[in-house]
Amino acid sequence: MAAIAVHQFAQCITCHAWSPDQSMVAFCPNNNEVHIYRLSQDKWEKVHVLQKHDQIVSGIDWSARSNRIVTASHDRNSYVWNLEGSEWVPTLVILRLNRAALCVQWSPKENKFAVGSGAKTVCICYYEQENNWWVSKLIRKRHDSSVTGVAWHPNNILLATTSTDGKCRVFSTFIKGVDTKDSRTGPSSDSKFGEQILQLDLSLSWAFGVKWSPSGNTLAYVGHNSMIYFVDDVGPSPLAQNVAFRDLPLRDVLFVSERMIVGVGFDCSPMVFAADERGIWSFVRFLGERKMASSGSKYGSQFSEAFGKLYGQSKHGVSTDAVEPSRSRGGVHENCINCIVPLRQPGISTVMRFSTSGLDGKVVVWDLENQADLSDYL
Amino acid sequence: MAATGGFVETDNAEAIITRIEHKSRKIESLLKQSKPVEALKTALEGSPPMTRDERCKSANWIVVHRAIMAIKDVDGLLSSLDAEYYDILMKYLYRGLSTGDRPTCDQCLRIHEKLTERAGLGCILRSLADTVNAV
Repeated sequence: MAAIAVHQFAQCITCHAWSPDQSMVAFCPNNNEVHIYRLSQDKWEKVHVLQKHDQIVSGIDWSARSNRIVTASHDRNSYVWNLEGSEWVPTLVILRLNRAALCVQWSPKENKFAVGSGAKTVCICYYEQENNWWVSKLIRKRHDSSVTGVAWHPNNILLATTSTDGKCRVFSTFIKGVDTKDSRTGPSSDSKFGEQILQLDLSLSWAFGVKWSPSGNTLAYVGHNSMIYFVDDVGPSPLAQNVAFRDLPLRDVLFVSERMIVGVGFDCSPMVFAADERGIWSFVRFLGERKMASSGSKYGSQFSEAFGKLYGQSKHGVSTDAVEPSRSRGGVHENCINCIVPLRQPGISTVMRFSTSGLDGKVVVWDLENQADLSDYL
Repeated sequence: MAATGGFVETDNAEAIITRIEHKSRKIESLLKQSKPVEALKTALEGSPPMTRDERCKSANWIVVHRAIMAIKDVDGLLSSLDAEYYDILMKYLYRGLSTGDRPTCDQCLRIHEKLTERAGLGCILRSLADTVNAV
């Protein structure tokens, strides 16, 4: 089985992140707080509660080398948290937004972070030594709708975004004094801050969950119409592939290697996609215990369930709850998964372990070891 | 989505109607040769993209409806129909269901059940999200 640990931390989790040594996990239990738990003697213990935001925390990222946490919230602010002694000390980052902040990610060098927002803008934030202050620079007037996802290219300059206008865009985030000339390579070689390198108009509906492959050669994002998009040769003449799949849409994706990706979303079970020798991507299978053979019959039962409800014949006798969890299909998660985070081992670009969290309040750790059919793609 | 533009104006509508008439004749001849799958494929191809002209839409629907109603063996149809047609077929099935006409709805529901079994809920989502093909 691919799921090696399941932790029920809360009723609902909006996002989560791991400490650099992976001994602690930070998550938002669908409110204005961030809870940090540490594993001690096989038991998870709440060690910190970060309280500073006024509204739901929509994004958390924990930097691997500098051990800083950045949070973004619907209250339109971000905080950078530094551990001083045994206390997490927040520094307010004024994003200059008039709508909610929706997602946040540290750049690979951890000297910048990007915040996507409902104000149709992306904030690139960096530290100004002389003022002891995080400065936010905005990429405006490029998105026609909310920015749902941000992803940094390994070169620390290029940033990919997805938006509810259905488009995926790639920008240069070169900031004088923060980035050096030698880090500019490839298509970003002479682009200024905020310059749009590429706009991909593949999806007809909302786009979510953009990621770069470990080398930065491939870009992947998902559409709300049960499609996943793969883009090679990001630059003036990109090569795109659209892959349609038979189940509910995805919310986020993660490259585990150059040729394999895990997608999570409304279907409650992580899906594996992989590229063959010719580089053609396709759906491989679900992770977890769900049996593929039963996929035919499940629709029948689902429809009869729905008809049962329609005619007031409660088939299962229960369900007095107003809010019912989505069908679990025997998977580990019982509701939409909205966050997938790699558990990296130092020095290895292939991700063997990752964790997922979702609206069911669980954090699940998955392991790709001993998955014979998938090992070819790792 | 309004920014995508390119909606067909009335002077273009005549050209579309001509194309639909041509398609209709082709479908009739395929049906006469008892090739309902070929007829449906022809019907699903070349739906008028991005048109707001109701006349075009309903003329096209009459043709597709004719092909859908000619289907007897749904399983056989779906196994010989390429997967790329599933999404657009689903969209036409919902158009059929919206007519409220009893025999049409019966037929559409029958195909809908088999198509969902085969193409999944993802197919329904794509047909809902499709803004290119006007049906």
